[in-house]
Amino acid sequence: MDSEQYADQIRLCASCPKLCRHVCPTFSAWRSNAPTPHGRAILLHYEAVGARNLDDRAVEVIYQCLQCSHCLTWCIPEVDIASIVEMTRERLVSEDRYPSGLDRLKQSVDANHNPFGEPHGTRTSWYVTEGGEVTRIVYFTGCTASYREQSIAVATVELLRSIGYQVLVLDDEWCCGSPLLRTGFVPDALVQAEHNVEVLNSIDAEAIVATCPGCYKTLVKDYPEHGLSIRIPVRHISDLLDEKLSALDESDFSEVITYHDPCHLGRHSGVYDAPREVIRKISGVEVSEMKRNRENATCCGNGAGLRTLFPDAAKRIGSSRIQDAKDVGARVLVTSCPFCKNMLKGQADESLDVFDLPEFVLGMTQRLNQKDE
Amino acid sequence: MIGAKRKTIAAERIAGVIGNDFVTIHETDALLTSVDAWPLSLAKIRAGELIPFADIVAYPHNVEEVSQILAICSELEIPVTPVGGGAGSCGGIIPVYGGLHLDLKRMNRIIGIDHDSMVVRVEAGVVGIDLEEHVNRFGYTTGHTPTSLRASNVGGFLATRSGGSMSSLYGKIEDMTLGLQVVIPDGSIIECKAVPRHSVGPDLKQVFIGSEGTLGVITEATLQLFPIPEERRFRSMCFPDITSGLDAIRSIFRAGIRPSVVRLYDETDTAMSIAPHFEVDDESCMLLLAFDGSRERVALDEQQSANICQAHGAQDYGDGPSRRWWEHRYDMYYPSKFLTSGYSIADTIDVVATYDRLERVYWSMKEAMESEGAIVLCHFSHMYLHGGSMYMIFFSSQPDAESLWSTYERIWHAGIEACHKEGGVMSHQHGVGLTRSTYTEDELGSSFHVLKMIKQALDPKGIMNPGKLGMGVQK
Ligand SMILES: Cc1cc2nc3c(=O)[nH]c(=O)nc-3n(C[C@H](O)[C@H](O)[C@H](O)COP(=O)(O)OP(=O)(O)OC[C@H]3O[C@@H](n4cnc5c(N)ncnc54)[C@H](O)[C@@H]3O)c2cc1C
Ligand code: SF4
Repeated sequence: MDSEQYADQIRLCASCPKLCRHVCPTFSAWRSNAPTPHGRAILLHYEAVGARNLDDRAVEVIYQCLQCSHCLTWCIPEVDIASIVEMTRERLVSEDRYPSGLDRLKQSVDANHNPFGEPHGTRTSWYVTEGGEVTRIVYFTGCTASYREQSIAVATVELLRSIGYQVLVLDDEWCCGSPLLRTGFVPDALVQAEHNVEVLNSIDAEAIVATCPGCYKTLVKDYPEHGLSIRIPVRHISDLLDEKLSALDESDFSEVITYHDPCHLGRHSGVYDAPREVIRKISGVEVSEMKRNRENATCCGNGAGLRTLFPDAAKRIGSSRIQDAKDVGARVLVTSCPFCKNMLKGQADESLDVFDLPEFVLGMTQRLNQKDE
Repeated sequence: MIGAKRKTIAAERIAGVIGNDFVTIHETDALLTSVDAWPLSLAKIRAGELIPFADIVAYPHNVEEVSQILAICSELEIPVTPVGGGAGSCGGIIPVYGGLHLDLKRMNRIIGIDHDSMVVRVEAGVVGIDLEEHVNRFGYTTGHTPTSLRASNVGGFLATRSGGSMSSLYGKIEDMTLGLQVVIPDGSIIECKAVPRHSVGPDLKQVFIGSEGTLGVITEATLQLFPIPEERRFRSMCFPDITSGLDAIRSIFRAGIRPSVVRLYDETDTAMSIAPHFEVDDESCMLLLAFDGSRERVALDEQQSANICQAHGAQDYGDGPSRRWWEHRYDMYYPSKFLTSGYSIADTIDVVATYDRLERVYWSMKEAMESEGAIVLCHFSHMYLHGGSMYMIFFSSQPDAESLWSTYERIWHAGIEACHKEGGVMSHQHGVGLTRSTYTEDELGSSFHVLKMIKQALDPKGIMNPGKLGMGVQK
């Protein structure tokens, strides 16, 4: 976005009668007009025309955004608030005006290559090597599945092996850089990115598969935007499973299943059908759609540094998404993102089971095998 | 502005009631809370002018908190401006004398649906679309379809006597409200019980509906629901002029038909809004109709209405223009480059009159506003058995900010004066806010005195939204 487009977009949005605010998750978390697309645009417009600088609270408002792009779905003039926020954060970081609550995240990624403060040496502690398969595939595990949602990583490897892949999990995989890119620390993110590109390009494999849509989007969109290209095709697990899985003959799964579209997979990457198709093939059940779904899906609350800086608000957003699932009578909520799963599972009670797609698929397959036995 | 010492005391005492997290004195929050959808505010923001903002913003969670806050503000004599969705179109939430912005968005519980009575009880901060989507799940509609549905909330609808585009059938918010809870300035909580009708003195809830935050804070309402209609059908009829269109509309209502939508576009609005999508003759006026109800009833009403229109010289355009308007009804409110570039402004004066003077009000306003250099287009937007409203849209572009502000004021003045001269009433659904505040006394005539006495009795210290509804202007 050049400076003229930026000025046009924030001026347009500052004049809008809040036509997308009802879908803005941070509006619903705070119930205030400040953390909304229109609120952010007014602050930036005032700043751009020299009327009022961003004060500390305005900086905070810029960081009270999930960059989920839900507003864009509702915006006829196509004002891209997520990109505007990301550009602004980059500038704030360069001026050393970002919230100090992000320091730990940044330092951890710089030092340990994950945002959780975990030692890099334990990144693949969940992984059990096994040989014998034919086609080599790299599983880019991502930080959340490596450290916080290891059952997803384990399930993914087991599934990929079961459909004939030799799975490579890399000891020297680093954070993809997404948490840093989204919060404005671009040079630090690029250190991670350059390392990953070098490692990935040195491997001979059919494809790289990611379960985390944040990693997926960063690898396929952000890296090339920064002049970094990966030689091997990068695929999201939902797409690969959709291609490889055939429908199960008979399934007696009778629970109501709903699906939560991760923002990075849905709105940012345009993948809506593949995970639904996988769920249908493997369970025999059509997804019962939540009130807001596909390009209109509500964010889970776990993106763009929001949970790091404002954990209570992030959890309120997650809880409200859980309520959406319950409103359609779901017993099972499937998503296709370790990060979303982590948030949603944390907000759900025992009446709703939350799975990431590979976990759900593996669970269904095992169920069927048990039945056959 | 209320002075640093009082501000600190008030903020601390309010925080004592609702907690520190829900009170702020940050300028950024105060400024953003002041932004509604008043085109003049938005034009000033575009021009880089700061708009007035409150000293303190508070976000109460329930009626008891509202009550305690009002008692504190009464005691400290601090102005209080309630904030709903902040999508009002005439500056109603602008806190001209500073003080407290009481933002009700956290009071967003849908308390419950009574299926036997087909009513819903809601808190004031529930956003219109959230309420509509909620009741839709149970097979109901509120029937309230203003185009601000995504941003405005129930309290705002009530405080401004809002009207949806289907008010011909379902009524305006004042018709839909069976019960009301209000906190008056001394902190007392007033309940007006939910009943369909009563005869126990005047209907006191109507004192507060439309009071725009000047008499108290609306905290809860019981609203009617309707079953989602089995069928909604659209029909469009093009007339040679507005006279024949209005005659046809009157005849439709007299025949006992109640369409849900009745919108007659004048020739300029037809050229601007309809002609880009459908082939229409120059100088013709498009009527958009919709019918809600059972399949048989709707088919009959539609056919009879079409016959009436054709008898008045209309050409049948089928469902196209009407359906398209319904599907794209939000589009015209999105900001466009054209309307936000340079020093430009577009606004609407929505007025209402009985049939005997409706057309005169139209011509007179159009002429008066055009004489101030405005481009004017109009549709008759909400029609009833006895008359209806007009949505007089105007546009002006000027070389600099000062010329725009003064031109804007002159266009408004010319429009309202012409409306009054021909016996119209200056707002049908948007309310008074700041744009019409100084005309309220003229509008209400001798009854303005009654409004002032009610204000004096309920709000003797004049803390509630001072400067609005023509009352409480401070020197
Ligand atoms: C795009 C767009 C389309 C619109 N279309 C329509 C339409 O079709 N029909 C229509 O009627 N209007 C329409 N409007 C105007 C406006 O939305 C309505 O007047 C609406 O009722 C205002 O509600 P709000 O919640 O946004 O109120 P706000 O702007 O927040 O407040 C309006 C006034 O009400 C007072 N107030 C708010 N809440 C309370 C409360 N709980 N207690 C006491 N006072 C309170 C405020 O102090 C202020 O004076 C439209 C506006 C926009 C921007
Ligand atoms: S993002 Fe688009 S729809 Fe949302 S407030 Fe801005 S201009 Fe309006």
